[in-house]
Amino acid sequence: MKRFLLLVILFLVFVLGQNIQAQKEVVLNVWSSPDNADALVDISKRFMEKYPNIKVQVTPISWEVLYPRMLADVATKTGAFDVATWDVMTAGAVAPGFVDLEEFRKQNPDLVDPKWDPKDFDPTIWHIAGMWAGKNIGIPFYCNTMLFYYRKDLFSDAKLKLEFKKMFNKDLKVPTTWEETVDVAKFFTKKFNPKSPTDYGIALMFPRTHTLFYMYLIFFAPYRRSPEGLKKFGDVDLDYGDYFTADKKPAFNSPEGVKALEMMKALMPYSPDPLGSDYGETLEYFAKGTVAMVPQWTGVWANFKVAPALQPFDKKVGVAVMPSGRSVSGNWALGLNVASKNKREAFLFIQFATNKENDKAKFIKFGVAPSRLSTVRDPEVRKVDPRVSVFLQTIKTQSHRPRIPEEPKLEDVTVGFFSQILLGERPNTVEELNKLADEWLKILKK
Amino acid sequence: MEKGIKRSAILMVLPLVLFFLILTIFPFLYMVYMSFHHYNLLEWKPPQFIGLENYFNLFKDKGVISSIDFTLLLILIALPIEILLGTFIAIFIQNIIGERFIRSVLLIPMMIPAVVAGVMWKMLFNVEYGPINYFLSFFNIEKIPWLGSSIYSKIAVIIMDIWQWTPFIFLVLYAGIQTIPQDLIEAGKVDGANRWQILSHIEFPMLKPLFWIIIILRLVDILKLFDIVYMTTFGGPGYATHSISFYIYKVSVSFGWDIGYGSSLSVVLLIAITILTTILIKTMRLWELLEL
Repeated sequence: MKRFLLLVILFLVFVLGQNIQAQKEVVLNVWSSPDNADALVDISKRFMEKYPNIKVQVTPISWEVLYPRMLADVATKTGAFDVATWDVMTAGAVAPGFVDLEEFRKQNPDLVDPKWDPKDFDPTIWHIAGMWAGKNIGIPFYCNTMLFYYRKDLFSDAKLKLEFKKMFNKDLKVPTTWEETVDVAKFFTKKFNPKSPTDYGIALMFPRTHTLFYMYLIFFAPYRRSPEGLKKFGDVDLDYGDYFTADKKPAFNSPEGVKALEMMKALMPYSPDPLGSDYGETLEYFAKGTVAMVPQWTGVWANFKVAPALQPFDKKVGVAVMPSGRSVSGNWALGLNVASKNKREAFLFIQFATNKENDKAKFIKFGVAPSRLSTVRDPEVRKVDPRVSVFLQTIKTQSHRPRIPEEPKLEDVTVGFFSQILLGERPNTVEELNKLADEWLKILKK
Repeated sequence: MEKGIKRSAILMVLPLVLFFLILTIFPFLYMVYMSFHHYNLLEWKPPQFIGLENYFNLFKDKGVISSIDFTLLLILIALPIEILLGTFIAIFIQNIIGERFIRSVLLIPMMIPAVVAGVMWKMLFNVEYGPINYFLSFFNIEKIPWLGSSIYSKIAVIIMDIWQWTPFIFLVLYAGIQTIPQDLIEAGKVDGANRWQILSHIEFPMLKPLFWIIIILRLVDILKLFDIVYMTTFGGPGYATHSISFYIYKVSVSFGWDIGYGSSLSVVLLIAITILTTILIKTMRLWELLEL
């Protein structure tokens, strides 16, 4: 009997010992959008080396699924994740579910890395991908923006230059306005110019998804942000974005809003199936050499680099500021779930992932656009990637989507409406856009 | 003794009943309960009782109307084509060379996960690189924007639905044909009946109950159509391919986060399915009675 009791005690000591050992290890669940995942996995490896008792599990979740899952989790406070990447336009919707990191830093000074410099972020980026209602709900991680990619070899081809001059009586150059883009796109479309080396001039994505919502801004923001536009609509509120006036009313139901849609329609004949194409399709059209130009996010660079039709890459692919000068922001931030049981460890991870070393490393290794000014000013970084100078110029002038909680609803009605205008099912008039503005006011309960 | 058996029987069934209540009945009742509330996750406020307001709003919602339009189109076009094709294949595949192989191949669309099928169809319908447009180019047909035009996107969804569900109809009818007593057909042949007469006087009457079942199941499925739309057109362009289920997803998950309104839409859809199914079953019984 004594021997049996001894065995039981030994067994319990062994099991409990294992449990105590296991309790020492903290597991952090990080939910990530797919384009951030590889960089986060790489960073997490270095983090785990530094903090062996913290295990980081990065779960990539597609954009369409990540937002609903995150919102459901933060609303019900189940704490299924500790850290997550949140998209800039979802800031207002998810804000109550994320910890105020400024407050957290004050309460946990022992965790704060003195080298972690908060002033190294562009103030606008810090606001849109970090702040909501005066609270610091995240740290900018992926400073995404839209750039204008073009076929460098075609724009420098002497024969094509001559042809263009004959056709339009002006020089062929990378377009700097959307008006210029129409001519260039026409020139590179076989249907309108049988000698064109590409089938189409430009790849546009106007599908029935959130894509159309941000694509509109690259056409509307040049009017909205022009001196006349600023005088008429007022300054851009960083929470309400370029769709709104300074006094938070819709700005698109105006002649400028109509002109933006007109320009989109004017470019559509020179694009392969713009209403049926999204991110993946337009990327493919450019990568396969079907089009000469494409407005796209920073992340496509990696795909273009390995595309056989675009080799030698440095001679074939160029990158420029968006025609008419206004891109659109698409930042991702790292936030800490209020329902997390491992807030201290999660904070350490966010701080580590967004420090200067990792910001540079993630850009050089994975092309994840840098969030820190020190990275974009770094000579090594500028040498590695020609996008950096364009990128720096773009983030200072780019437009913004609304970040308010009502954004998803506004997005859906707008995309439905714009889609019908582009199809020709609705007239493109201020009166028609007023109807959409009324829908917006209903959603905003104004 | 009997009481003891009864008690142990109840105890044995109890876990399953509880499991069923927790996983099926509770969510359903909760959905009905939520349909009388205003509850939007984006507002970060607790649910607020609003009576029948969500149900009244259904009649004013243009999204509901356009999704009903598209769903009706599927019922009126896709379903009859699926039934015709399925029946045709089930009848004419009998006793041909390679019957087993063809039968297996025909079942593939049904076995492919809808998400995979969606990706595949998106590639097939691609304007530039899609094999469908490539094939059509041999007949001098210009590139068709299958997913970027109101009309063609509807046709594309109908084609995908037919591709996915004709095998199901074929399978049910094929199995049904196998159960028809051969002596009946032999007797018909002895009496001088030709293939058409055997089909219309022996096989079809015996398959009639199966047709009803097929119609009921497919109607319910069409009302629940979601995955193909989500993966290919995302309801667009405009509102062209919004199915009812896709609209419910958008209202309650993707864009609206309006749990209350989404629940009321789901309750109405459930009621519509129940009424349709009941009518069809009653009609089927009435038919049988009339024949007797």
